[in-house]
Amino acid sequence: MKNRFYVIAAVALVVFFTACSKSNTAPTVVPAYSSTQTLTVNFSTTKPFAFFAFKDSSIVVNSDSATAKWDFGLRFTNFLVNSNASGPGNAGVIMQDGVFANLNTAPSTGYAYDTTSAKLAIKDGSWYDYNVLTHSFVPKAGKVFFFKTADGAHYAKMQLLAVDYAPFTGPAPSQLLYKFQYVYQPSGSTNF
Amino acid sequence: MSFVCHITLLQHCFTKLWQSNELIDEILHHRNQMKKTYYLLFCSFNLLLLQLSAQTRVFKDTLIGSSDEVVVTANRSERKMGNVAVPTSLINKNTITKTGSLQLQNILSEQTGIVIVNSALGTSLNGYPNPFGQGVQMLGLDPAYTAILLDGEPLVGRNAGILKLGRIATGNIKQVEIVKGPSSSLYGSEAMAGVINIITEIPVKENLGLQLHQSSNNTWGGTINYANRFNKTGVQFFLNRLSSDGYDLDQNLYGKTVDPSRELNGHLKITQEISSKLQLLLSLRNYDARQDNNYQIYYQSLPAIVSGFTSEKDKSSFAQLKYNISPTSKIYFRGFYDKYSNESFVNLVKNGLRFDETSFVQSVLKPEVQYEKIRAGKSQYVAGFGANFEMIDASRYAGKQQLATGYAFTQKEWYLVQQKLTIIAGARLDKRNDFAMHVSPRVAVSYKPNSKWKFTASAGLGFKAPDFRHMYLNFNNAQIGYSLLGTSILWPELQKMQQQGLLQTGADISRFANNQELKPETSFGVHVGAKYTSNKWIAEWGIFRNDIKNLIDVYTLPFARSNGLPIYSYQNINSVFTEGAEMDLKYRFTNRWSVSGGYQFLLAKDKQVLQNIDQGLLYKRDPNTLQSSLVTRQDYFGLANRSKNTANFKVLYEDNLQRWDAYFRAVYRGQFGFMDKNGNNIIDSKDEMTAGYWMLNIAASKSFGPALRIQVGAENLLNYTNAIQLPNIPGRTYFININFNINQPTNHKSNRL
Repeated sequence: MKNRFYVIAAVALVVFFTACSKSNTAPTVVPAYSSTQTLTVNFSTTKPFAFFAFKDSSIVVNSDSATAKWDFGLRFTNFLVNSNASGPGNAGVIMQDGVFANLNTAPSTGYAYDTTSAKLAIKDGSWYDYNVLTHSFVPKAGKVFFFKTADGAHYAKMQLLAVDYAPFTGPAPSQLLYKFQYVYQPSGSTNF
Repeated sequence: MSFVCHITLLQHCFTKLWQSNELIDEILHHRNQMKKTYYLLFCSFNLLLLQLSAQTRVFKDTLIGSSDEVVVTANRSERKMGNVAVPTSLINKNTITKTGSLQLQNILSEQTGIVIVNSALGTSLNGYPNPFGQGVQMLGLDPAYTAILLDGEPLVGRNAGILKLGRIATGNIKQVEIVKGPSSSLYGSEAMAGVINIITEIPVKENLGLQLHQSSNNTWGGTINYANRFNKTGVQFFLNRLSSDGYDLDQNLYGKTVDPSRELNGHLKITQEISSKLQLLLSLRNYDARQDNNYQIYYQSLPAIVSGFTSEKDKSSFAQLKYNISPTSKIYFRGFYDKYSNESFVNLVKNGLRFDETSFVQSVLKPEVQYEKIRAGKSQYVAGFGANFEMIDASRYAGKQQLATGYAFTQKEWYLVQQKLTIIAGARLDKRNDFAMHVSPRVAVSYKPNSKWKFTASAGLGFKAPDFRHMYLNFNNAQIGYSLLGTSILWPELQKMQQQGLLQTGADISRFANNQELKPETSFGVHVGAKYTSNKWIAEWGIFRNDIKNLIDVYTLPFARSNGLPIYSYQNINSVFTEGAEMDLKYRFTNRWSVSGGYQFLLAKDKQVLQNIDQGLLYKRDPNTLQSSLVTRQDYFGLANRSKNTANFKVLYEDNLQRWDAYFRAVYRGQFGFMDKNGNNIIDSKDEMTAGYWMLNIAASKSFGPALRIQVGAENLLNYTNAIQLPNIPGRTYFININFNINQPTNHKSNRL
């Protein structure tokens, strides 16, 4: 309850300040960029991560893992954000409960970073439930991820829609397909 | 829960999964024999002699039509059915015989308010039967919360909280007593939802019974029952062998849904009158079962067949000395020992190498003293004390573990207002070596204004102590690499793992140095009821409510193993409630025809979930748009595996002249939640439910000459099957029983449903 209050307060503040800035300087309104993507992710925890950049909806090659070209990485059910222990970028993330379409302002502070490899911004298990019947990782409903991108200057909101297995034969799957939608704000504003 | 299982299961997605992977905590013992797991049977009988004697001292039943049936479970001493103040129902020998069923769970499932369920995890094992067997859900509580007694003594060897009922032979059951509502005040841990006491025959006079049973799936059963009294010695001997080919509900998967099995059940009971005041009862029981294991696994990424078997053994012995101190007081000295073991293995068929094996041994030693005092027409008093010494040694536990519990109970029953008003107050103390003293009180009142009506109200506290698995499970999944650790071994294991570099760098384990021990799960239950009887009618109504807190569940530790995979342990988390209403009606049309019907309405919900809904914290995902929205109270169906509506309907025809009878039963289980699909871990959408279904059973028998009785019947007439969600239900089966009974001992009260 208390946390919720702070979140609401934070959102209110953000709204207030952005509202002010709007009236003072007439900004050039850059439309936010919306997209739905499917990312192919390794199932094995010994194989490489898949890296993604919001800016251009691109999958970043693995050889660029030590650059700030990517925002988040995925392997099995483990998320990385491009900061500290995981990469040279300044990417951070906040996971918030709510309806994706209704959360239209990214928090300006409070982002979590991959401080150490033991303390990642997105904890495994925090965003899904495992379904024993279908063996699927069902993303929890109502979880919205606000990202600060690797350049530390842009914001995106993202929600997972589905996690499926890529078709496979044999005993174990080799890849997961992460379907997600996001809105990226190229202007640097926290509003979407 | 889900988290724990998942990673493992993935390994074998497309094989008969649970068989070859380490399912975890729930599965404590076995890796492979999941299909199996016959559960133990036991013996002992403390309460039997009670019934033999003292019947004269039992109050006359003042309710019309309640007959003279005597029950012992509700008060730990004999009472006429009509005089019992707590909700009690009885299944007598006659009913069991008329169903012709060899499956105790089938007989129980025909009772109002009893639902036979799979464990929550078990239901999810895609297309395979629940490895843990099926258990009893009473008052909406899981099977782990009903104490199952055989002749008054507890059965051991529960797996994931479920004691597999399918392995209790029905051939020598005298009656089954069911007490609903918290009964920890007399029976301690586990008796939170109630008690089911299976009471076997006692030697009354000479009798030889033989039965040959044959049914679908090449099932054969043979039973010998012999009883005699020589002077002051009584002997009762029971032997039953049952074998079956099992069945297969899914031809596309290798192996059978239920593999072939055979089992042997033996029971010897001796009573001896040492003097007019001193009586001895000895009871020995042996259960021996074996079931094939035959299924497909993946070995080095290629499909391979493994085979082996699971053997289960259960041996118990019970001795009781009863001393009549005076005509109104007596004392019992009891000793009970039970050892259950389960061993399982599979070998790779192609090269004969051992692929997997598990073992599990559990034993309990239970000495007890009980004292009873009767003041005729005024009061009855019962008190006792005893101890439970439990031992467990399993391949998945951290070494051999022992627990000791000391307990004492006391209960007084007063009869007031010309014995129209009965008041019961009692309590039990349990002190286990690893947690604080636990007190479980209960009070009950019944009022009988006349010979037709009885009103009852009872309330009590129940508790369930943490299991061995919650405390000592030490399971590291070798293939995947996650860990599940019981609370008692968590700290030393974490230290060990850290020293060996198995924890992720920087993991702060210090907060687990004084890891909080698990507390017992506790409940408060209330039941209010009314009963009306006349010569033609018996009608009962009841409403109930149970609040349970400190439910134990799995959680994830804040740090991972060095391989990045999680470590799990247990903690007290949840609070739930169950509430509902039940009704039972019986009507006798003529001497030959009678009908009965029962109905239960049940709500069972998680309090935290309701709170989250109210605070707007719980979301659901639309299966089509994949967008999330808030869950409403109307959406929330309740805890999984609970049906809001269950009902039964029975018709009995008995012709004592032509000596034949027919018994038809219909049992309905309404829709129940099966598994979350829309991302919120609760049951809130139609596609997360299993649809309701009917089980229709019929049996008819005819007697010929002095000794022969032939019975034929069919179970599951509608041939209901659900290979995915209810694989334990075979399709329609037919059976025939041929009985020889020489010197029929007693004329069982017939004419009762």
